[in-house]
Amino acid sequence: LKATEHEAEERRLIEAARTDPARFAEIYEANFARVYAFVARRVPGREEAEDITAEVFHQALAGLAGFEWRGTPFIAWLLGIASNLVARRWKGAVAAQTEVPVDEMELATNSEEAERQALFAQLLRRLPEDQCHVLERRFFEQRSIREIAQEMGRSEGAVKQLQFRALETLRSQIRDRHE
Amino acid sequence: MNDFMIEKLDQQIDRLLRADQPGRQSDPELRELMQIAGEIALVPSPAFQTRLREELHSSAGPGQAQRETVIPPIFASSSLTFPMNGSRLALSFGLHVIALALIATSGWWVVENRQVVRMKVAELVPGNDDYLLPVAPGKIGGGGGGGDRDKMDASHGTAPRFTAQQLTPPLAVVRNQNPALPAEPSLVGPPDLVLPQSDRLGDPMASVLNPPSNGPGNGGGIGSGEGGGIGSGKGPGMGEGYGGGIGGGIYRVGGGVSAPRPIYDPDPEYSEEARKAKFQGTVMLSAIIGPDGRPRDLRVLRSVGMGLDQKALDAVWKWRFAPAMKNSQPVSVQVSIEVAFRLY
Repeated sequence: LKATEHEAEERRLIEAARTDPARFAEIYEANFARVYAFVARRVPGREEAEDITAEVFHQALAGLAGFEWRGTPFIAWLLGIASNLVARRWKGAVAAQTEVPVDEMELATNSEEAERQALFAQLLRRLPEDQCHVLERRFFEQRSIREIAQEMGRSEGAVKQLQFRALETLRSQIRDRHE
Repeated sequence: MNDFMIEKLDQQIDRLLRADQPGRQSDPELRELMQIAGEIALVPSPAFQTRLREELHSSAGPGQAQRETVIPPIFASSSLTFPMNGSRLALSFGLHVIALALIATSGWWVVENRQVVRMKVAELVPGNDDYLLPVAPGKIGGGGGGGDRDKMDASHGTAPRFTAQQLTPPLAVVRNQNPALPAEPSLVGPPDLVLPQSDRLGDPMASVLNPPSNGPGNGGGIGSGEGGGIGSGKGPGMGEGYGGGIGGGIYRVGGGVSAPRPIYDPDPEYSEEARKAKFQGTVMLSAIIGPDGRPRDLRVLRSVGMGLDQKALDAVWKWRFAPAMKNSQPVSVQVSIEVAFRLY
């Protein structure tokens, strides 16, 4: 019943976005985490993952009028586009232009990956402010320890300590959730 | 964990962020922390999520069409780029270089060969056709003239019909509106000679249309001659001669008649069809150059086709000449004009 409701909701969103492209924002919010999770685990760098994720949504927005329901959820179509772009990234520009199908197992794995990322994003926000700040600068903005130290007005050693403590806190929170 | 381990952890994170594969850790605590770091590395940046949301919002709005027409940068890597095909890029680059080289060298060639290019200008040659009968060596027979001593030249119009006997001379300006015995104006000549008729009588060879004038001649009629005819001759006929009928006409170059000299002769254009076919040829035209230096009665004597005939006619139609002279007077002459089309 839940799956049927979810599909009906998806259909409603897509129809709305077809008539009014500004409504695509709702589709984006509903699917961003899963598309990013799919891409981020298949390309080596954050910058590349962001580029491909952006391209997936731009292509989806441009091709929404041509989307047809084929008995699979909408996310499968998005991941098909992502899979194609990732394949092109690895095989070069002459890779096949056809949509790469994504099977049910991949969809399930992707769902778990997205949930795991959402969990870590949530735990990250609960860290003490200085620890959270260091990890965000280090991982999201890819700053060096020296740059972060200069920005925070602390020594490099102190920033490394904060980084270590932040990861340790996250580890203990994960352990707590498993126990 | 001691300082050494903290330093080692940071080095491993460095490698992870540079997309290098971190080395396998023997220390279980360090390994666990690196697994956590690996998960954090996969968490999307909230700033990116917001930026992409805004980007899509603007793409979905009125700017969408504009984005689709943006030419993607060739070397930049961004969401706006498309896959670059190296061989096609190289081919395109090569073709552009060749095109630029051709443009540059063609400009140089034209400058260096200016005289050769000018050689395709048409050439005026003496007529060698039988378009007209030769001019009589003596005085031209036939013709007439008239006028009523008006200060202005005779005005343009058509001649009345020809009759064996003239009752009333033609007039462009009728002075006596109520004649005692009205009669149809006519010229003396063969009655079966039919010329274009209209309500406006005048000298068919005159270039002035208005105001209506009978001309500076005398003896009635229209023109600068004498008698009741039309033109510069004498008598009731039309033209330069005398005694009725039609006289005067067109001369040919030679025998005291000088050739007209082109004073404005723009080059003809090449037709697109002939240029594509790399076709060359010479069009022979026949023309009458009037006393006013303008060409008229242009005809194609020898056609080459490919649209070049019309191009030759278009060009020669614009030409202007210093008229042919006979006895220090400008006269009409029949000439042939060769228009040579050459590709260099």
